[in-house]
Amino acid sequence: MSDVHASPTQEVCSVQVGDTLYGVPIAHVLEILGKPATQPVPLAPYFVGGLVHYRGEVLTAVSLRRLLGMEPAKTPEDVLVFENPDGLFGLFVDSVGEVLHVSQAEHEPNPATLEPRRQQLFAGAWKLKDRLLVSLEPERLDPMRLASAFPA
Amino acid sequence: MDDLTREFILESREGLDRMERCLTDLETRPGDTELLAEIFRSVHTIKGTTGFLGFSRLEALSHAGENLLGLLRDGKLAANPDIISGLLALMDVLRGVLQSIETTGAEGESQQADSALIARLEELQRGDASLAVAEPVLAAVEAAPSHAARPRKPRGTGKHISRRPRGDHQGTPPPNDPGEAGPPIAVEAAPREAEPQPRPAPAAVSSTSARPATQAQPEAPAAATPGAADSTLRVDVELLNRMMNLVGELVLTRNQILQATSTDANFALLGRRLDMVTADLRESVMKARMQPVSHLFSRFPRLVRDLALALDKRVHLEMEGQETELDKSLLEAIRDPLTHSIRNAIDHGIECPDVRVAQGKPAEGLVRLRACHEGSHVIVEVHDDGAGMSIERIRQKAVERQLVSPQRAEQMNEREILQLIFLPGFSTAAAVTSVSGRGVGMDVVRTNVEKIGGKVEVDSHAGKGTILRLRIPLTLAIIPALIVHSRGQNFAVPQASLTELVHMSAGETDNRIEWLENAALYRLRGRLLPLVFLDRLLQQPPRERTAPCDIAILNADGRRFGLVVDGLADPEEIVVKPLAAVLREIGYYAGATILGNGEMALILNPGSIAQNANVTLTSEADDGLDENRAGRQDFLLVETGNRRAALPLETVVRIERIPRSRIERAGSRPVLRFEGQLLPLDDAASELIDASDDPEAQTTVVVCRDGDRQVGMTVSQVLDVTGGKQLEQAGTGGVAGGITLLHERVTGIVGLSGIPSLECVAETPAVPDFPSAEETQ
Repeated sequence: MSDVHASPTQEVCSVQVGDTLYGVPIAHVLEILGKPATQPVPLAPYFVGGLVHYRGEVLTAVSLRRLLGMEPAKTPEDVLVFENPDGLFGLFVDSVGEVLHVSQAEHEPNPATLEPRRQQLFAGAWKLKDRLLVSLEPERLDPMRLASAFPA
Repeated sequence: MDDLTREFILESREGLDRMERCLTDLETRPGDTELLAEIFRSVHTIKGTTGFLGFSRLEALSHAGENLLGLLRDGKLAANPDIISGLLALMDVLRGVLQSIETTGAEGESQQADSALIARLEELQRGDASLAVAEPVLAAVEAAPSHAARPRKPRGTGKHISRRPRGDHQGTPPPNDPGEAGPPIAVEAAPREAEPQPRPAPAAVSSTSARPATQAQPEAPAAATPGAADSTLRVDVELLNRMMNLVGELVLTRNQILQATSTDANFALLGRRLDMVTADLRESVMKARMQPVSHLFSRFPRLVRDLALALDKRVHLEMEGQETELDKSLLEAIRDPLTHSIRNAIDHGIECPDVRVAQGKPAEGLVRLRACHEGSHVIVEVHDDGAGMSIERIRQKAVERQLVSPQRAEQMNEREILQLIFLPGFSTAAAVTSVSGRGVGMDVVRTNVEKIGGKVEVDSHAGKGTILRLRIPLTLAIIPALIVHSRGQNFAVPQASLTELVHMSAGETDNRIEWLENAALYRLRGRLLPLVFLDRLLQQPPRERTAPCDIAILNADGRRFGLVVDGLADPEEIVVKPLAAVLREIGYYAGATILGNGEMALILNPGSIAQNANVTLTSEADDGLDENRAGRQDFLLVETGNRRAALPLETVVRIERIPRSRIERAGSRPVLRFEGQLLPLDDAASELIDASDDPEAQTTVVVCRDGDRQVGMTVSQVLDVTGGKQLEQAGTGGVAGGITLLHERVTGIVGLSGIPSLECVAETPAVPDFPSAEETQ
């Protein structure tokens, strides 16, 4: 990735959910909470995974698994902390991996064949050497936005 | 927006706030030069700075205001309601422009309205016939109608005398010098409603001539201002919020440390120290968020003035306890309810002057606004000496609007009736005025106050007036709560709405929870209480029907219900954390918190739970119960042998089930060793006589206090704790001793003094003074 001439590169935090590898631009990630204690919220919208405690705040955390209609995770999950205009929120993922450098040239938009819900959630993908890294943008995962975009 | 502009907006706002206060004060003291100087300064400052910052609209407006104020300040015009209204209008427009600058960065367009206002202000400068400017000099300067000068003619020299100060004035320092306030208004001939005692005009005229003696006085307020500015500091609310959060976090950490067990003695000591420091810190940060209620009260003189004018009433506003402090956010939260209450007081409460006079009251009504501390609450009272509320009219209206059934309305007492005004859709105003009467009144007040954990009380006497009392918690951020469990999850129930707890063991739930179709009910002291199962409400996996549970009896805004939960944990002081909007929408949660053990808990909102479960208002009935209690006493109802007897509950120390072998004998009398003492025992139930020889057989003993000593009494069974009514003995008018009415049955009260003390046990045969009037049935 030291090839500066190719195209601008970006640091991306890789996370695993199910069999898919996702990437979130590191600039958007405020903090990574490793397997924090979580509090479920009865009657919450389906995509809310629960509450997590972060520096004196109680954050609402979105579950990517629930959002994608997957089975609940069998082991405790990690949480990424993001900031949106109204405050902070979290995102439950199976596990957080290493930071990858990806270049703009490797990025491609969502394929037209992707199902509509995922079309809205994903921001294309980067072509890694051996697999795809699906691009996630925090603003698409904002609980408020999800509530209006994907009502139960 | 640059810092300069921001600073300008803040400063101007403060100036306008000051101006508002002064303007309303000016109504009562139209000749007060200090007030005029203060108002002048506010406008002048705005004008000066706007020119510099290039806000032309503000400049034009404030210039017009300044001209008018200059005349007032120099005593060339008399302040009258028209002028004050004009200046208030100017102030509103200035506020609007400031708002626009703050949000959009520009002054906004409304030039036409501006020029109309400027024209109005110029009009006021000229004055008209009603102003009756008596000083001929002023009249001449302002091209005033010649008749204004006529009355002065006889004095002749007056013209010269008054010309001199004016000449002096022109040679003296710039107009913004407060010391140059000059002589006050010569005459306030214009009749004003709120004028306490009309002053005869000639007296005012003559006092003007003697004015120069007091020239030095107006310096004082200007000198006093910097002192206040030095001792306070403007702090960003965001920063305070952040500090509050951190303190909350510290409280949590402290809770965790206090709960952690450690064998190190030092650790416990440090923990306690941390506890103290945290508590202190919390208090001071909370104090930093406090603001005196005067911030809120200061807007009301204007409101009262405008309303009184609009309604043709005369109202005097009195304010007390302005220095009482309240959390900033709470101050914001009670702004609307309080405004509403004051409107109500003036519109519905205070009568028109002629009506008042006819009733022997002073023509001017009184509205008193009072704030004070009471424990962990701040009380804000709105008191008016108006018509009060007619109980009959409320009753009638409530029936008319189908808020209660006619039968129910007939049964309600005064206090219950008064509570009806808080029901949604209630309004007794004969006509809908611009001020109130649309039926969205007191229920909004109540809802808003309860939203912040406060309470509203009302007290009214027909013909005498009404007191509305808002009870506001000191702070929102940290509240005492009881932690409950439901299906393995923690929930916090605010203590403010918790009235009592009932535990049910495994076997009891099936029997003691009664069902009316789908509605679960619990019999609490003979009255049916609706139950809400938290697990069902939240659609958690249901618990077994027979599992043990606890019922938290809640009173949410007058709605009483029992919340059934799996179990209880300790009460805790919790730090309220806001929830994201998507979770707030659920409605049942008021926030979240982190407990001492590090777990999180959702804070339940009893009000919305009650509402959702369709629990209706029951508080009236409860209050009734309390009132009945006055002549009542609680008794322990027991069965002795086959009779019922009552023991005054306050005398009962303990109820024990003990093996008979523990009962010993002193002479022929049974005695019991209890907490290291020997109690004389009254075998009222004859438990010991027909006892089998089985030493393991148990008997129930009630230990009672009788004066300084304790005595025991055997009973076959404890039946109930219940309130008894005292009975009057027929014909005597006195209270019948020794008997009471329990569950509608006459029951004898045990006379404990009849149980002989131990000294005489040996000699005296046991003749306990057991009641003879046990039962009539």
